[in-house]
Amino acid sequence: MKKKSKKIKNLNQTSFYFEDYLETNKKNKFSKKKNNFQDRIYLLFFFFLSLVLIFSIKITHLSLSKTISFNQEIAPSKFTLIRRDIVDRNGVLISRNVHSHHAAVNPKLIKDKKNFLIKLRLNFPELSTHEIKKKLNKKKYFYLKKRIDQSEKEKFWSLGEKGIIFEPFQARMYTHGNLFSHIIGQVDYDNYGISGVEKYFDKELKDKKILKKPLKLTLDSNIQYIVSKELNEAIKTFDATGGGALLMDVNSGDILSLVSLPNFNINKRLAIRDKKFTNKLTKGVYELGSIFKTFTIALAIENNLVESQTIIKNIPRSLKCSIHKISDMKEHPSNLSVEEILIRSSNVGSVILAKKIGELKFKEFIENAKLLKSPELEIEEVGVPHKIKWNKCKLETVSFGHGITTTPVQAASVYSAIVNGGNLIKPSLIKDRKSIESKKLVSTETSKKINSILRKVVSSENGTAHFADRHGYHVGGKTGTAEGYGNEKDKINTFISVFPTIKPKYTLLVMLENPQINKELIYEYRGVKTKAPYNTSGWNSVYVAGKIIDRIGPILAINNNEFTDQYVVEKFN
Amino acid sequence: MFQFKIIISTIIFLILLIITSMIKNQTRMIEKKIHKLNKKISLKEKDINESQLDFHFLTSPEQIEKKVKTLGQNNYLPIKNSKIFLSFSNFSDIKKNISAFKKIDEKKIKKN
Repeated sequence: MKKKSKKIKNLNQTSFYFEDYLETNKKNKFSKKKNNFQDRIYLLFFFFLSLVLIFSIKITHLSLSKTISFNQEIAPSKFTLIRRDIVDRNGVLISRNVHSHHAAVNPKLIKDKKNFLIKLRLNFPELSTHEIKKKLNKKKYFYLKKRIDQSEKEKFWSLGEKGIIFEPFQARMYTHGNLFSHIIGQVDYDNYGISGVEKYFDKELKDKKILKKPLKLTLDSNIQYIVSKELNEAIKTFDATGGGALLMDVNSGDILSLVSLPNFNINKRLAIRDKKFTNKLTKGVYELGSIFKTFTIALAIENNLVESQTIIKNIPRSLKCSIHKISDMKEHPSNLSVEEILIRSSNVGSVILAKKIGELKFKEFIENAKLLKSPELEIEEVGVPHKIKWNKCKLETVSFGHGITTTPVQAASVYSAIVNGGNLIKPSLIKDRKSIESKKLVSTETSKKINSILRKVVSSENGTAHFADRHGYHVGGKTGTAEGYGNEKDKINTFISVFPTIKPKYTLLVMLENPQINKELIYEYRGVKTKAPYNTSGWNSVYVAGKIIDRIGPILAINNNEFTDQYVVEKFN
Repeated sequence: MFQFKIIISTIIFLILLIITSMIKNQTRMIEKKIHKLNKKISLKEKDINESQLDFHFLTSPEQIEKKVKTLGQNNYLPIKNSKIFLSFSNFSDIKKNISAFKKIDEKKIKKN
């Protein structure tokens, strides 16, 4: 188009000079105007292009950046707990994290310190205003009260002070308070386990991959409560300084209940230093007395040295070993069968059998049963039994449970092994764990014979554990009355029961520390009303065990059809 | 021709720009809604968490026993083991058995 117009212009040209004079001026004017117009368009176009460029860069940036970036600041913190729940065998909640607050103070934001201190004194008289004043003067951020509840938070809020800051944190709550104090343990303010299961499984409880999966324990809240209640009552009845009870599944080693008294409320953070709050069943190390006689008898039968009915003739009333005199509490006939030795709890009879067994085999048994080792339980608080020197009279004293210490939980697991057919078990607090020991402690035949004898300890006329003979449960067991190891003033009365002895399922250990004779308590002993003649386990620990079995029996039966059909329905129908 | 192309491409670009901004705006609105819902879910989760804790506390044996005592009973009511049914099918099976036994008894009585 441009070329054409140029050609037309050239045709109209009159003269060179004229054209040059007139046209050049016109042309210049026109080209000048045109140039100005074009420059403006270019400028506008440039601006427009740069705007488009800016926009496109922005769009590219936005599309590449994360979609949540625009509201990231106001987004709520997701509800995530930093520690797993702990539940019992039935899924009942034992511990859980909840959102809570610490009340802190930023001194720089407090204008009227005097007024603030007065308000604090009026509303929180338990807080030391003297200490707070000191901290305020230091002008450093400090905590006024840690782990406050909702009502306390509202109370602090109502003070109307800008300087009070509510610092969010997660508090560990225990729904059962005292009930599981010795097992569960506690966590610190930073949610690190400091005792019990909380410490033992600290890593697992904080594992982010399985945060929603609770840690399932073998314990049963209902049984734990019943056992705890009965034991508490027993401590009051017999004026004991403490006590413990343990219920274990003899086949799996699952601990259904573990109570050690006195206990404490784990929802409160207190510094507990008193020894009486020690976990007596796992950390406590005791001389358990006559309970060891069962091991002696089992070992003698296992080694084919005697049979249950073998008569041991001419048993003396006492024996002398070095300077020590070994005798029985009661007078027994001079000829006793092996089972009678256990039923009547004869010390002298046990010594005679131990001598037949020999030190080597006894040592081997103790080694295999891990009686002198710390229990392999999933809590931090486990005791270490005293090392023993096999000197002159050791075999004799160990045969009836003196001069040897162990933890009650280990003693209960050895009893479980002896009655379950001889299979060694590992006590456990964790449900559905994988490893189960498959080592034999005694043969199945020996186990059956021992079950029968243990039943007679409870059911026979000369037995020491009459009060545990509860109809329908076929209870068997062995009593143990001993002095504290290294402290003759202390007294430990223990009873380890097994039920039902036809096919053992549970072991129940009841231990009372320093019980006294209750002069007001009237027992019904074989149809006769009487008061306790002795301060032996038969008159207190066995009595408590009987009461516990009476109450937990139906619960255990409900969870097990076989048990219901055979052992409970008969009684109640 | 060249200017025409520029204009067309600019128009297309502008249209896309507007559409993008519209989509972005709508996304923003949806995100706001999601944010609100997340906030609600978070609060609900917190409520459930604390309610469960309350439930387990209130249904703990100690609390139930306290409630039973306040209701004027000194102990739990004993229930015959035969009256405890583990499931409805268990209950109906037992009832069927009982009715079958009753019929047999009735027949025996009639015969006698």
